[in-house]
Amino acid sequence: MAVLVDGNTRVIVQGITGKSGILQTRTLLEYGTRVVAGVTPGKGGTVVEGVPVYDSVADAMKETSPNAAISFVPPMFAKDAAYEAMEAGIGLLVLTMEGIPKHDVLDVLSYARGRGVRVLGPGTAGVISPGKCKLGAHPARMFREGKVGVVSKSGALSYEVGKTLTDAGIGQSTVVALGGGPIWGTNQREIVELFNGDPETEIVVVLGEIGGGTEIAAAEYIGEQVRKPVVSLIVGRAAPEGKSLGHAGAIIRGNKGTAASKMEALERAGAHLATSPAQVVEIIRKLG
Amino acid sequence: MKLYEFQGKALFREAGIPVPGGAVVTAADRTGLFAPSVVKAQVLSGGRGKAGGVLLADTPEEAAKAADTILSMELKGERVQALLVEEKATIRAEYYLAVTFDGEERTPLFMASAAGGMDIETVAERTPEKILKLPVDPLWGLADYKIRAMADFLGYGDRREFAEFVRKMWKLFREKDAVLVEINPLVATDNGLMALDAKIELDDDAGPRQKALFETMSAERRRITGSAAEADTGTITYVPLDGAVGFISDGAGTGMLTLDLIRDFGGEAADFCEMGGLTSPQVMYDAMKAVFTDKPDIKSLLIVLIGGFNRMDEMAEGIVRYLEENPVSVPLVVRLCGTMEEEGKAIMKEAGLPVYDDLRTAVTDAVRFAAGGD
Repeated sequence: MAVLVDGNTRVIVQGITGKSGILQTRTLLEYGTRVVAGVTPGKGGTVVEGVPVYDSVADAMKETSPNAAISFVPPMFAKDAAYEAMEAGIGLLVLTMEGIPKHDVLDVLSYARGRGVRVLGPGTAGVISPGKCKLGAHPARMFREGKVGVVSKSGALSYEVGKTLTDAGIGQSTVVALGGGPIWGTNQREIVELFNGDPETEIVVVLGEIGGGTEIAAAEYIGEQVRKPVVSLIVGRAAPEGKSLGHAGAIIRGNKGTAASKMEALERAGAHLATSPAQVVEIIRKLG
Repeated sequence: MKLYEFQGKALFREAGIPVPGGAVVTAADRTGLFAPSVVKAQVLSGGRGKAGGVLLADTPEEAAKAADTILSMELKGERVQALLVEEKATIRAEYYLAVTFDGEERTPLFMASAAGGMDIETVAERTPEKILKLPVDPLWGLADYKIRAMADFLGYGDRREFAEFVRKMWKLFREKDAVLVEINPLVATDNGLMALDAKIELDDDAGPRQKALFETMSAERRRITGSAAEADTGTITYVPLDGAVGFISDGAGTGMLTLDLIRDFGGEAADFCEMGGLTSPQVMYDAMKAVFTDKPDIKSLLIVLIGGFNRMDEMAEGIVRYLEENPVSVPLVVRLCGTMEEEGKAIMKEAGLPVYDDLRTAVTDAVRFAAGGD
């Protein structure tokens, strides 16, 4: 099972002939992800890392029946590529690029909503279901198969926690990165919902940060619906007010968006609070 | 890119949105001054009215005096370099009207309120029922029934005029790649609706396809205010702080985590410096340069790297090149793991630089070194 991706996920790489596309395709294949095709307009008929390249998603669709796409298409062309993938019938789209114009992102997400397509990102490191499928940048050896579902805004923080869990011998069902915002195709609450319904996920880890209110929305759902143990780590406790810390949305305004307010909401919802990755491990060990 | 009011008004005029007649005045060129008029400081921060940055002038003498007063002001740390002098309007009613986006709801959003002229954040906090928030599907477009809902909420009688006004605002928001178009106040006059203020922010990510617009706005800003546009720092986020532990990360989430851990372990960070998750040796080099330039007195430098899209060989290359060209005497603590980790560690080893694997150990050592330990 796992969520979003598993052994049946058939992937196309959009923008496969670019520098990132080539390097990442190699790491996906090394992991065992079934990359069935690549798409770059004008490069149809070529081959990248053994993967056939097509001019259009529609062509790739006919011959290789993919059901997920990861896009390395440059920001100014990302919207067109996303529409193309969605119209061809792709159900899961991972937008890795940062710097896509906001109106393009809003258009893509409106289109996705209408078609029932799940979009991760933009600006996301993607998702990994260890041992089954990697659809993103997660470094393979920091993850191992197991029962803990992890959702994070930040890609790097999801690696850090994955690495700490894996070093401690605790495996993961799926690890999802959502991106740094300020617009998210998928949020924590939606992934927690998926974990809640996934029989392979026994413990849910919610990684959040200062700014905005998506962690609070996740906490509300957790309080109402989730009976699986939830462990949460919110970073930015020591953050100064009024400064964006690397993610556009990671900013404290007055008393809004503070780590404390989110930790309080999560604790009220019954989540166990950690202040470091090592403490996430300690709590999970105690939960047995 | 945030625009000055006079720039926003120029875009309004071009879009057919009514604004008062007016002229831009600077210390060097005061020919545009007239009376009776409203003399307004041109600054990018909000709350200028409360701070005395808007004055009424009935006579040319009063206008000159108001100009002198405001041109010598500093508002929220921003020197006033230019004024917008406008005709007074006869106001029958004041409203707040804005279009922006809600990233958590993934949608463009109109906000309307009859509490115009007020600080909208205060209104939102104290009396949220006084603000109507209307999401708009960008592909479906701005539906008539939503415009009617806004007009009715504001109690504005001429729905047809209101619809035309709002449609122009929406078109401007979409076509200019704006992330905010705010009118506060929007006023009803005897001749219909008029935008008394204009706050527009353009999407920097759309810069490449709005080249002419961005160039015009930057050039105008330089010419009129004498200030350059914000420097483009690429993907690096740099925030100066007060402590002794210099610090760089290659991810915002791990950056914030490390900031917390530095404090938990008894230290204080000298800065927050984050490079973004897809970066190059040059960016690594530039990040070190940024920290050492701004904080030459740091007692240790902690570099926390965990590569997904980022390549550790490239990060190591950047670190080694910086140190070769700029020898430093403070202890360096580098935690490096992830994509191309072996290659990165080999480069560091060859340069005689130790590498950490565990974040906690790295933070502990960086804090200890900063406190004078060894």
